[in-house]
Amino acid sequence: MNDAILHGGGLEKRFGSTVALNGIALTVGRAEAVAIMGPSGSGKSTLLHCLAGIMRPDAGEVHLLGRRIDTLGERRRSELRRTRFGFVFQSGQLLPELPADENVALPLMLGGTARREAVQAARAWFGPLGLAGMENRRPGELSGGQAQRVAIARALAARPAVVFADEPTGALDQATGHDTMRLLVEATKRNGASLVVVTHDPGVAAWCDRTVEVRDGRILARDGAC
Amino acid sequence: MRILRALSGLTWRLLRGGGVLGPLLTMAAVALSTGLLLFAVGANHAFAERADADAWRAPAKATGTPTAIQAKATDSVRGRPLTIVDLAALSDRAPVPPGMKRFPAPGETWVSPALAELMRELPADQLAKRFGGAPAGTLGRDALEHPDELVAVAGHTADDPAMKAERPKSGTLDTIAGPERIDAYATGAVTTRAQTYRILMYVASVLMVVPLLVFGGAAARLTVARRDRRLAALRLVGATPGQVVAITTAEAVLTAAAGAVLGTLLYAAAIPALARVRIAGGGWYAADLWPGLLPLLGVLAAVPLLVGASAVAGLRRVVISPLGVAQRHTPPGMRAVRAVALVVLIIAFGILGGGVLRVGEIGAIILLVFLSLAFLALNFAGPWVVWVLGHLAAATVRRPAGLLAGRRLIDDPRSAWRMVAGVALTGFVAGFLALLNPGAVTTGPADRLELAVPKERSAAVAAQARERLDGLPAKVTVTPREGNDIVAATVTGGEASVDRARTALAGTVPGKVATAPADMGAGTYLLADLRTGSLTVLIVSFLIAVASAGITGAGSVLDRRQTYEALRLAGTPLPVLDRARRQEVLIPLAVMGGGSMLTGLFFAFPFASGLGSAGTLTLLAATAVGFAGVLGASALSRPLLRSVTGE
Repeated sequence: MNDAILHGGGLEKRFGSTVALNGIALTVGRAEAVAIMGPSGSGKSTLLHCLAGIMRPDAGEVHLLGRRIDTLGERRRSELRRTRFGFVFQSGQLLPELPADENVALPLMLGGTARREAVQAARAWFGPLGLAGMENRRPGELSGGQAQRVAIARALAARPAVVFADEPTGALDQATGHDTMRLLVEATKRNGASLVVVTHDPGVAAWCDRTVEVRDGRILARDGAC
Repeated sequence: MRILRALSGLTWRLLRGGGVLGPLLTMAAVALSTGLLLFAVGANHAFAERADADAWRAPAKATGTPTAIQAKATDSVRGRPLTIVDLAALSDRAPVPPGMKRFPAPGETWVSPALAELMRELPADQLAKRFGGAPAGTLGRDALEHPDELVAVAGHTADDPAMKAERPKSGTLDTIAGPERIDAYATGAVTTRAQTYRILMYVASVLMVVPLLVFGGAAARLTVARRDRRLAALRLVGATPGQVVAITTAEAVLTAAAGAVLGTLLYAAAIPALARVRIAGGGWYAADLWPGLLPLLGVLAAVPLLVGASAVAGLRRVVISPLGVAQRHTPPGMRAVRAVALVVLIIAFGILGGGVLRVGEIGAIILLVFLSLAFLALNFAGPWVVWVLGHLAAATVRRPAGLLAGRRLIDDPRSAWRMVAGVALTGFVAGFLALLNPGAVTTGPADRLELAVPKERSAAVAAQARERLDGLPAKVTVTPREGNDIVAATVTGGEASVDRARTALAGTVPGKVATAPADMGAGTYLLADLRTGSLTVLIVSFLIAVASAGITGAGSVLDRRQTYEALRLAGTPLPVLDRARRQEVLIPLAVMGGGSMLTGLFFAFPFASGLGSAGTLTLLAATAVGFAGVLGASALSRPLLRSVTGE
């Protein structure tokens, strides 16, 4: 794996007596899309949380562009998540009171971009993602698929190195889900970012370059590019 | 019936399984509200009891054949007012005064327990000798306003000069009265002083109860905040709106009922301490502070019902859609009619206000109605103002925290208003009281005892006074005045000497008592009490308001926990969220708090001569406490924010 962006090695995490991660290693290459699959409770979300700096592993290391990040304090990790990572969750990530364009502009504003430029930059994402004309709509006025596309725009707005998606199509019907995944993968790659998707849906995983299967906190199998 | 049983079982399980924090906070809030509500009711009851106890001393002219003569004077001892009621029977059918076993015989003096004690404590030449002889009996509590009151009832013969000499009118505070030919005591008459206290207590009640209702509503919503998701889930599995409403109401009412009982116990426990609060020169009979069985039952029934109703109102969106909170749309705009109501009320008061006080008791009632309406109008206009402010903020701010705050104000102005409503409404109270808050009470000299005497007798009275004061450090002078001359004795040597002089001068002029300008007595008390009262109302309002802000803040964090968590995971620094939440509160607070204060000032304007230093101080202190309180309350929900975002 040349040109590795993100690398986690020997990752272990326990919750009480439950072992969530049991010595997992995973490397994500530049502009690579990796799907993490596995049944409920297999540890796939914990792996995503450890890789994204949301959670600290009990053992092991996480490196972003060669720099160790799992030892950073909460403030630095929070800053890292804001500037170097993008996130797409199943639902509930958009601020209901903000119109769509301001939702997308928020990470830019948090990074210090002036409001006018941030909103302008945010609006540039709407056309390519099929959201033209929806800039002023609130999340409650968007369909599930549209809301996820706004979330994708928001995840990419700050030009992250890696986008993490946790069951991004979990609340969508199959057709909309596949549409959303296509847009997520395409837009992420077009921006030179890598993608880590947690899912239990093989249809979603099929959009990725590679799938890793997690069971009982270990990686079971890897398959090649789809 | 089976459905009812199933529902009540489910309610109980939800209540037990839903975590204790929400119900505990709600219960505590309801307990505090109930306690304060009972305080308002109890204090009104206590003032009514005092008015009743005081009523018999103001003689009312006989409607039938007069059977007795009654007169009243107010003396002073150790700086405390001493009420002296003079009675003389005209026949053996003279009515027995309240608190006494029989009509006092000529020469007898009946005294209140506090006076009896003081008579034992002080040398006879400073107090006891004013009445001649040992007390013939002790006055019961029916004759007394409060346990510390100094009252003497002196019996005379009908031809005693004290029962014949006309006594000067004492202005509005009824310190002197009669002599009057009477045939009964319970005439239903209430003295102006007692009436003034009762009206002020009513005003205080209105000022306290309205923020209390806002507070109760906030508490009720807290129950809902933690439960809406589970109730939405119930709707998803097929519970009807009616069932969800039933479960919520039952849950809120159960919690509130427990809180109400706890509040009653709290109030009962506080009565001994409250009884020691001195108003009009004395504490209270504990029994007077107890509101009575019916009002108590009323409060115990009303509080849970109101909380239940408030919880149901907070649940509307869950009931409307099984997807509940997840389904959000652009909220409809606020209508300007909300502000129009306030403006109309202000104009109406501007036109009528000045005349209100001139219409006596009806004027007082109109004032109370106006005050209540002003509260309601401010509360009604609040969300609209918040909504407008939200638009202004969202259009102009540059930083993310300001944007979040502005958008939130537009999105849910009602809930943003609830967070600051208490403190903003207290601004109204502070504004209103600032103008009514008297400055330092100025009193005249305490060592100059004066008697107003007809010109032709002033020399004789002065000579008599000199003779009686022989051996005391006192100097007697006569000051000519229009009408009566003033015979004055200036006494040196402090309180004891003054009391000795008062005792020596007792009875010099029949029916008259030598008084010092500092004796103002009831008047001085009224001004000081007004200040104590204002301060109490302000403190109580602020306590309620800050507690309410804290509870609403906690409820709002719980309501939005999902969004907050997603924001934090995506790397939003928590200080930004904190700052947004702070601005969400500070923007409306600054505008509406200031607006309410101005409205309060406006409504107090007809009753005040000007804003003294005490008033300005009240306003400044209220502003500082208001902001600090709300910021503090908002800071209290910060750990909660940390915990819901998993940090």
